[in-house]
Amino acid sequence: MDAPVASTGGGGTNGNLDEQIAQLVQCKPLSEPEVRVLCGKAKEILMQESNVQPVKSPVTICGDIHGQFHDLAELFRIGGKCPDTNYLFMGDYVDRGYYSVETVSLLVALKVRYPQRITILRGNHESRQITQVYGFYDECLRKYGSANVWKTFTDLFDFFPLTALVESEIFCLHGGLSPSIETLDNIRNFDRVQEVPHEGPMCDLLWSDPDDRCGWGISPRGAGYTFGQDISEQFNHTNNLKLIARAHQLVMEGFNWAHDQKVVTIFSAPNYCYRCGNMASILEVDDCKGHTFLQFEPAPRRGEPDVTRRTPDYFL
Amino acid sequence: MEWESDERELKAAGAVPLGGGRVGFLIGGWEIETAKRSILNSSLLQQWEEKLQTTHLPEMVFGESCLILKHVNSSIKLHFNAYDALCGWKLEALPPVEVPAAALWKFRCQPTDQVILDYDYTFTTPYSGSAGVEKSPESGRGPPGESICSPHWEDCEEQIDMVALSAKESILFYDEVVLYEDELADNGISLLTVKVRVMPSGWFLLLRFWLRVDGVLMRLRDTRMHCSFRESTEPVILREICWREATFKALSSKGYPTDSAAYSDPGIISEKLPMAMRKTQKLIVK
Repeated sequence: MDAPVASTGGGGTNGNLDEQIAQLVQCKPLSEPEVRVLCGKAKEILMQESNVQPVKSPVTICGDIHGQFHDLAELFRIGGKCPDTNYLFMGDYVDRGYYSVETVSLLVALKVRYPQRITILRGNHESRQITQVYGFYDECLRKYGSANVWKTFTDLFDFFPLTALVESEIFCLHGGLSPSIETLDNIRNFDRVQEVPHEGPMCDLLWSDPDDRCGWGISPRGAGYTFGQDISEQFNHTNNLKLIARAHQLVMEGFNWAHDQKVVTIFSAPNYCYRCGNMASILEVDDCKGHTFLQFEPAPRRGEPDVTRRTPDYFL
Repeated sequence: MEWESDERELKAAGAVPLGGGRVGFLIGGWEIETAKRSILNSSLLQQWEEKLQTTHLPEMVFGESCLILKHVNSSIKLHFNAYDALCGWKLEALPPVEVPAAALWKFRCQPTDQVILDYDYTFTTPYSGSAGVEKSPESGRGPPGESICSPHWEDCEEQIDMVALSAKESILFYDEVVLYEDELADNGISLLTVKVRVMPSGWFLLLRFWLRVDGVLMRLRDTRMHCSFRESTEPVILREICWREATFKALSSKGYPTDSAAYSDPGIISEKLPMAMRKTQKLIVK
């Protein structure tokens, strides 16, 4: 059932992979050659997946992680280990937190080891441009001494599916809807293997936000859409959906209903940026398609740089 | 681990902890206190939206965090909080700043049934702190708004003595409080923080609004306040407000780098940004 993938070059075996997973669970990064082989295997699997990847229940849906590795470990403690629990992650594994490398390595390793048990979608941070500003690039330089691992991962990000569909009724994606997309088939038909563009439907799926205002709104930034309840209702109706599950926005309670329960935001990085004090949550969808939110707090820290400590500074 | 003061130094300076779980000290006739809490939850956020008449607030509003400095004898209270700062944002209501991707969007947008939202998403505020005289000295930690009158800041020639402040006098109490922060949907940062340090000779604070819209502009609005502890005379608080701003375009024409990664620390960037406004004021506590 778990159909571990046969080795696709690089000499790796599942035994090897299990060891790598065990190492990553300890928050110890893989070597650069190991990352290269791992991402090569992951690419083979991910390129077979659809832009709207079908997923069966039961499954646990998760939002942003942002390099908060110890909180990802806590998530697995709360939600159950992979592959005992099936997981669907909606992107933003890297940037902001201190352990983007370990976080994304572990998720990709689990994907290669249990491809039917875990789905990893693309978030707006899984991009070359964004990761150069918000931490992942610098972290790779720091931990590997070169940008090679960053390049390997960001090349792989191009293959991550953009959306998933749980039991034909819960549509999952990182950001939100797009005025260029009316049906799921519209999404199935475009070529996703590219850097996240600055505009267009692929950009919208990873960037847009639900809003209280009806219709389509354009952000005052001059780029980025907001969509109202009327848009969500129409989209769900057209595509026979019950719910749109998305991530992308910080919410104090870890989840937030919008649009008369047509849309839910799930955020899975507790105490975001190590200072917000927010809860995290994950959404369990059981065999009977029932929904349960599990909320959790930050994991107790071990040896993590403590950002709350303030060295008295002679600021002027 | 929070920053811990040296007990002997505190004792020598006559500083008394506020106690009762409060963070701060009574020193030189001032009660100096910080509170750091979580971001607002959904229901409080909704209340703030209604009170401020907006549907858009920064994604991280540390609404219950604050810095308070209260002069015990006069009941004058200086406080720094997100709510008053956001009132300032609403009033100033700067026009939106377009991000570089906006140029691409212009070609795409069909005007039909799309609304361009027009609030100032940078949350730029002219806020330079709140001051009031407290009605009842007992309610030391009450919300802003219970003041009966606003003390008057008058323009002055005196300057904050930066040379004296550069001396490595021991720091008895130090803290930094984030009031609000927004990542501008990964287009930069908007951050309002206040830092305070208390020395045996007096207290000094810096309230800083820091904005970077990637590829477009940087804006720094600093308010510094200094007050010496003097036993014989009434305390005088000096306040210096300094605004700086530059576009990435202007920086690049001066040969400075234009990638955002080079501009993560406003302290270092400050001198590269031309000054837009500066004034010094004082408040005499009576």
